[in-house]
Amino acid sequence: MTAAVALSSASLDGATKLASVPQDARREEAAITLAGVGKTYAARDGAAEVSALHDIHLAVPRGRILGVIGPSGAGKSTLIRLVNGLERPTRGRIALFGRDVTALDESGWRRERRRIGMIFQHFNLLSSRTAFDNIALPLEIAGVSRGEIETRVTKLLELVGLTDKRLRYPAELSGGQKQRVGIARALATEPAILLCDEATSALDPDTTRSILQLLKRINRELGVTILLITHEIPVIKEICDEVAVIEDGRIIEAGPVFDVLTRPAHATTARFVEGVTSVELPAHLRAALRSEPFPASLAVLRIGFAGPHAATPVISRLSTTLGLDINILAGRIDAIGEQPFGSLIVAAPGDIASLGATLAALHVLGLRVEQLGFIAAPPAMPARSPCEEVSDVA
Amino acid sequence: MSPELIRIIIEATIDTLHMVLVAGGLGTLFGLPLGVFLATSKRDELFPAPALNTVLGVVVNITRSTPFIILVVAIVPFTRLIAGTSIGTAAAIVPLTVAATPFIARIVEGAIREVDQGLVEAARAMGATPLQIVRKVLVPEALPAIVLGLTLAAVSLLGFSAMVGAVGGGGLGDLGIRYGYQRFMPEVMAIVVAVLVILVQSVQTFGDALARRLNKRLRHA
Repeated sequence: MTAAVALSSASLDGATKLASVPQDARREEAAITLAGVGKTYAARDGAAEVSALHDIHLAVPRGRILGVIGPSGAGKSTLIRLVNGLERPTRGRIALFGRDVTALDESGWRRERRRIGMIFQHFNLLSSRTAFDNIALPLEIAGVSRGEIETRVTKLLELVGLTDKRLRYPAELSGGQKQRVGIARALATEPAILLCDEATSALDPDTTRSILQLLKRINRELGVTILLITHEIPVIKEICDEVAVIEDGRIIEAGPVFDVLTRPAHATTARFVEGVTSVELPAHLRAALRSEPFPASLAVLRIGFAGPHAATPVISRLSTTLGLDINILAGRIDAIGEQPFGSLIVAAPGDIASLGATLAALHVLGLRVEQLGFIAAPPAMPARSPCEEVSDVA
Repeated sequence: MSPELIRIIIEATIDTLHMVLVAGGLGTLFGLPLGVFLATSKRDELFPAPALNTVLGVVVNITRSTPFIILVVAIVPFTRLIAGTSIGTAAAIVPLTVAATPFIARIVEGAIREVDQGLVEAARAMGATPLQIVRKVLVPEALPAIVLGLTLAAVSLLGFSAMVGAVGGGGLGDLGIRYGYQRFMPEVMAIVVAVLVILVQSVQTFGDALARRLNKRLRHA
């Protein structure tokens, strides 16, 4: 009873939101729009009611790649399945290219699904069909003629680089090859949207990279809008334009990948991001770290680079303008899309005058600086003759 | 051994094969759709009809738990209705089919339930109808297991067909009882058993080979 009331008010709410989009903006309409979407599984067989998603607002712009990241059980799977009607929302509205699909019945959804491809973590290929016949399946289902199937599947095999595996069965293919078949199959009906359900989670890092590159190519060359879910931040970093972080069925943070990854606002996001963007002090230095300066100590600073200043030669500028020796202890410079970012841990002279000048100079450059503590200056490097170095190399 | 006896043995073998093939064929004809339905009609499945699923499940269980020899006698009126008589090879096919159908249905149900649900989901995501999912995904993927199950059913039917001899069904079982047992001709009994062993062995070998051929899961690159 209460659920029904809540549903109707939510749908009204969602409807106004969708309807409020001005007509001339239609062309710019997002490929996928979720407005106030919630999903609750009714209680049954003694199991309590489970609330999987709450008030999800999400828009995937046409031709872009949006990644949803979150820990397992956060509601990612449910979210992605709402977009092709494998799950139905209990509240809110869903629109594809501006067309409301919330109220579609099963046969309406079947037609809709032919324009939405989906790939899966465990590939879900038919073991009884060859690569060719697996890719042909969605075309058979759509009633495409035998000759047309032959032409299209041949092209798709070429697109995913599996022309020579045409007549192989899935059991004869590697994980990466299976996922390529999965991708070709998902693209067979020339969909405008591709859903990726943890598509690289069962693959090794190298294969993951090549599959992600393939997805990116498909996005750029075919203009397919991609919605993917993952629990791996490298996937987001590698190919996504936008990211949404989901936890306990709620989107806690969303935006362009660069912004979210370099300046995470939420603790969960920060935890995900940690491994790929931040740098830790090596253990032996961490052990030697003190909180107060002492004679001849060096100050340990973490400098975060993001955006325009990431490309500035900061360290050399400090050395030349301030005449200070800056020693790099640890660091990582990386890029998201075309934008560089990174962080360095450096040791700078720890006396008050030098440290003040260093901090001021970094501040002027607009860099984020964090003081980690103080360490003793390292003993001078033992002198080496050039001959020794040569023999080392040999 | 007299030529007469050899002729009788050959005839009995043909009768047995006739009963097993026809009953097996009819049992598959009815059992396959029944098994598919049993495997897909629970709540939230492709053809949700939980009440009918339960009723059919009970009917299948009742048939399967009735000892075959009792089933043969119990359905005599039904046999007469279908075959026009309750004696002979043609009449024996009726109870054999009645016994084979639920047996095969359960085998098919089990084989279909073993198919990875991810494949069903993938097919739904392609926009497949429930019938397309059955035809293009469930049955082809379950086929190796179904073939092995049908082999098992054929072997069981050979055993059952020997029992219908007891109620005038003809075939090898009938021959064994009448000549080997009642007329004290142990050599006939031995031949009957030998022929049955050869038949079972052939059916099993053929079924295994076919299932292996159909199973593309164990190949390696």
